[in-house]
Amino acid sequence: MDKRENKKSQFLGHYRGLVQAGATLLTNVYLPNFLKGGIYQGKGKAVCVPGLNCYSCPAASGACPIGAFQSVVGSSKFSFSYYITGFLILMGVLLGRFICGFLCPFGWLQDLLNKIPCKKLSTKKLKPLTYVKYIVLALTVILLPALVVNDLGMGDPFFCKYICPQGVLEGAIPLAAVDVGIRAALGTLFTRKLIILIVVVVLSILFYRPFCKWICPLGAFYALMNKVSLLGIEVDGHKCISCGKCARVCKMDVDVTKSPNNGECIRCGKCVNACPTDAVSFRYGFGKEKEI
Amino acid sequence: MKGGIRLLKTKKAAVQLIFIAAGVGMLCYGVMRGEADSVLGKAIRLCLECVGIG
Amino acid sequence: MKMKMRAKKVFALAMAALMIFALAACGVKDDVSAGTSADDAKNLDDAVKIYKELMDEENKILSENQELWEKVFAAADKRDMTLQEDGKNYGDFLMDTIEAAKDSFSADELKTLKEGAKRISEIENELTKLEEEYPEVREKAIDSAMDASGDGSMSVPADSDNVDVSKAQKFPAFDGKDFDGNKVNSDKLFSKNKVTVVNFWFTTCKPCVEELKELEALNKELAKKGGQVVGVNAFTLDGDKQAIADAQDVLGKKGVTYKNIWFKSDSKAGEFTTGMYSFPTTYVVDQKGNIVGKPISGGITSDEQKKALNALIDQALESSK
Repeated sequence: MDKRENKKSQFLGHYRGLVQAGATLLTNVYLPNFLKGGIYQGKGKAVCVPGLNCYSCPAASGACPIGAFQSVVGSSKFSFSYYITGFLILMGVLLGRFICGFLCPFGWLQDLLNKIPCKKLSTKKLKPLTYVKYIVLALTVILLPALVVNDLGMGDPFFCKYICPQGVLEGAIPLAAVDVGIRAALGTLFTRKLIILIVVVVLSILFYRPFCKWICPLGAFYALMNKVSLLGIEVDGHKCISCGKCARVCKMDVDVTKSPNNGECIRCGKCVNACPTDAVSFRYGFGKEKEI
Repeated sequence: MKGGIRLLKTKKAAVQLIFIAAGVGMLCYGVMRGEADSVLGKAIRLCLECVGIG
Repeated sequence: MKMKMRAKKVFALAMAALMIFALAACGVKDDVSAGTSADDAKNLDDAVKIYKELMDEENKILSENQELWEKVFAAADKRDMTLQEDGKNYGDFLMDTIEAAKDSFSADELKTLKEGAKRISEIENELTKLEEEYPEVREKAIDSAMDASGDGSMSVPADSDNVDVSKAQKFPAFDGKDFDGNKVNSDKLFSKNKVTVVNFWFTTCKPCVEELKELEALNKELAKKGGQVVGVNAFTLDGDKQAIADAQDVLGKKGVTYKNIWFKSDSKAGEFTTGMYSFPTTYVVDQKGNIVGKPISGGITSDEQKKALNALIDQALESSK
């Protein structure tokens, strides 16, 4: 039973790249829009996708949960979004940060960038920075859009407007490429965000997933939910020989034997595949009483 | 010890169930009060400045 | 509807690409076309080709002296001459109009116009001949002409009463209402103003709302020059009562007094609005109802955007003189 579980787990880890490509394509399925300009304007846009995927992307098939949250919170009618919070809680319980590892297009991009050969730097010593993302979530996504409002009670989506590099990459750049009007509208706001994007791209080559680790508010939310997620990783204490391979191979600086439900774990499955005794495997389901 | 683990695990299951129920509940309540329309309105009509074009 | 528009856009893009090829391949075609006549047609394909060449030539005549011809059209409008009764030759119609308005042209101009009208009359006769012989020739020629023209510069008179010789794009027509329930017709609206600034916005768009005050100021300024600002709120299409109430609330709080209008979403202007995805967007329309330049995307609050808008307004005022 355990052996079979582990095979499935290993399979998942091996085909992660394919899943990421598939998920990115599914959430950005209207590819012709890149050429003709314009965005998909159907009802699908009322529903969120799980990953960080800008809804101003010409090809986007759904809404970005972070963008959607801010737009609801920033509107004069609402100051909190039950719809998006409910969605995120549900996604968090069902999948947790598996979404970061397998379904998020911006996570995939950082994975690919990190494959560019050059000297790689460790992020282990930068651990305190991982708390920045919670501040980004609390401040730029939840509080500022709801509290800093004009006379009509309308707030700005601070994260989308001032920080999000995915918005520049998926939205601003492709839209501006085909639309003269939008090109003319580009100003300092765009320049500042373009610099953020460039910094994130460069850092992603040197470090593994710097944006996910330090900045991403969506990652921060899923990190909180990782502890209660149905999808998790477990270590069979009887099989584990404490060789430490899993911790060494982990690019998110997690020691899975010590904290299998660590908020930083994006469930990429590297430890599963690295374990020489097949002690590490994915698990899915409610907290069960069997095993251990 | 074993009883303790069992309790812990079932408690976890209970917490998970509560979260799922809360998630579904909030989602439905949000849709009911018109948040989904609000999301749609913003996702198909881009306020340029809001997505950093400006 | 939206799908259709999208399909059209893809089509247009593909056509544009085709056109580049076509132009590269046969850049000398125009010189040959002058002598073509209906008698050269031996089969349908030939006929289509000739038909197309003739149409191109006609368009060329009209677009070479575009300003002059526009005066002629204006004269026709003024005299309320109905554009061609059925069956009447378009060239003859032009000739009549020129004759009737000959006082407003110099001798040279008259000569150019009359020569043009004469040739158009001949072309129209040839076209009619072709149509009699090959009934489907017109449709086919228009189709294939569309294949070649992506940017509208070789535009073809799809209906003879809708000859669009200028490259200018008409603002889509509408019969709408303002928020007080008064009827607003696009032709009447545009023709009574020297310039109309049409601002597209929606209620939950913060930058759209932020620029309302500036637009109000602009409206006051334009009033002195015979212009007007008109708002179109994308949420209020089809006269959605709740949306109009929400929009009016915002407008009231921002002290907006200029007209905001809505129209049916299945009207031309409605489709135009639903297909629009970037907000706010501001169009400048001249007295003839043509869109001046490119629309301004994004708020007009920044100095640069304001400058661009003012340039368009000046251009519109100029062309309305």
